[in-house]
Amino acid sequence: MPGLTNGGAIDLDSCIERLYRRELLAETVVEAVCAKAKELLIRESNVIHIKAPVSVVGDIHGQFFDLIELFRVGGFPPQTNYLFLGDYVDRGYFSIETISLLTCLKLRYPNRVFLVRGNHESRGISQNYGFYSECKAKYGNSSVWNYFTDMFDYLTLSVVIDDRIFCIHGGLSPNVHSIDQIKVVDRFKEIPHEGPMADLVWSDPDPDKEDFGISTRGAGYTFGAEIVKKFLHVNNMVHILRAHQLCDQGYQVLFDDRLSTVWSAPNYCYRCGNMASVLEVSDTGERTFNVFDAAPENEEYREQQALQHNTMTEYFL
Amino acid sequence: MAATQQSPDQARLSIYAPTVTTPSITRAGWSIYCAKTAILKSDEIDQTTERIKIPLPEMIFGNNHVIVRHDASGWEIGFNAVDALDRVDKHGNPDGGLVKVSYSEAWLKDKAKSEDGVHEVVKPFDWTYTTDYRGTCGPKTTVFEKTDDRIPLHKLRRPDPILFFEDIVLFEDELGDNGISMLSVKIRVMPDRLLLLCRFFLRVDDVVFRIRDSRVFIEFGDNEVLREYVVKQDTYANVKRKVPFTTRDFGLFLRDQNWVAEQLPTIEAVTEKAKLLPGHASSDVR
Repeated sequence: MPGLTNGGAIDLDSCIERLYRRELLAETVVEAVCAKAKELLIRESNVIHIKAPVSVVGDIHGQFFDLIELFRVGGFPPQTNYLFLGDYVDRGYFSIETISLLTCLKLRYPNRVFLVRGNHESRGISQNYGFYSECKAKYGNSSVWNYFTDMFDYLTLSVVIDDRIFCIHGGLSPNVHSIDQIKVVDRFKEIPHEGPMADLVWSDPDPDKEDFGISTRGAGYTFGAEIVKKFLHVNNMVHILRAHQLCDQGYQVLFDDRLSTVWSAPNYCYRCGNMASVLEVSDTGERTFNVFDAAPENEEYREQQALQHNTMTEYFL
Repeated sequence: MAATQQSPDQARLSIYAPTVTTPSITRAGWSIYCAKTAILKSDEIDQTTERIKIPLPEMIFGNNHVIVRHDASGWEIGFNAVDALDRVDKHGNPDGGLVKVSYSEAWLKDKAKSEDGVHEVVKPFDWTYTTDYRGTCGPKTTVFEKTDDRIPLHKLRRPDPILFFEDIVLFEDELGDNGISMLSVKIRVMPDRLLLLCRFFLRVDDVVFRIRDSRVFIEFGDNEVLREYVVKQDTYANVKRKVPFTTRDFGLFLRDQNWVAEQLPTIEAVTEKAKLLPGHASSDVR
């Protein structure tokens, strides 16, 4: 069994090597990898404190070729330290390859790779938006989806860089004033629809507002300039870093440089034509967005796919 | 509010300027102009928001368009995101007809207990971006009138060679991962006719499915254009019940717009005809 050495221990280096070649791990190996990852992640706090330098990555959404492109731009782990802000799966064609690789990198370099939970790292969302279907298609059953979604329950909710930069997937919550309030959340479960855990992975900044608002969809919060200022002041921090929203230039800086959105899926869904970025935080606290475009491999893959599909779609009625 | 909006027939003066001036194909005196490019840049988003006055969909292809033009007469119909979004309900009353996500009631109830001091719904509008857009007519486009004629499906089912095909997204929004709202245009040109389909597709998870199809059909020999507008809608639960029970992967079906379109009952359907002006006969079919 490739990837497993005698006695059932995981040969992570050979797993990582395979995954860089975009080869799937065997189902039993994925099961073992997820079990190991849970053992590791359960020891992590809801708020992990790390040190710069670190490169911060936004949504990837199964765009495996573009993740490799990101490593080409920002350096491969462990030479570069990485903080990933969630939304590894769904929408793109290679959610399994992406999350398999990131999980193995986390296990191999636990103090150089950090994985935060995004709103797509949940059963409810990933059953609807592609990851479940991909698991069924590539493995013939849903076991692998079960292993990964069980592991998602263990991912941390937030990271603080050098006691200065607060990092989450979505945004702030009206029920979280102090970072200490995050530490007491019971995170080891499916993401609920309401409460601080939901807000941290779901909420969005609103540059035209000062306070919290309720989304026009009837659930979820938006937060404005005053809320950001207050949160940074109370927690003695200088910046909020998040992902979760598509930015055509790969990033967006709001509220007088108090909040950044980083977006790492170029040409999102293979049709948006947007740029992506990875944010480098230097050991002196400087923030630099390295912008990158979609990997050339996407085009080759799409041409292969197009050959198989075209005539069907052309005869629409 | 309906009072501030034009009727679909009057939507003829576009606030939008086409970007492509070379036809993608010309056939039998008809030219097709297609623009397919990236989502709007942030300054373009700001300008467009200023004009439309609602937050734009997350993926806004404001520079994409499809225009079908009769060269001799200048008769034309086009499809673009900006004109379509201009017809979305911009002031929706949140207690009225606006759709809410499935867990909204529970969320609001739970929120009330938390006493977070947040009461305001931000700028209500129809966040599903439902639009009755049937295309943008040019200044020389004759009026569409109701007809009993129907688009001849039997002619479209023939495997005639397809001289030109394009599939262009105008906007898409993931509704904060509560479903999808999407407006797209497909067009195919065959030797003797063309078909264009502009489809608005909406899925709000655990709430509703909606389709609004505008089809434009042109038989090159005839001096007329047929346009069909169809509204389809059903609850999410009703559609989900029709997913084959052998699969656990219902998402695969519910994401397939063609499969969903076949399951939804038709709420409204109207076919209209526009006659090209005499003296502007189309050139002969080659």
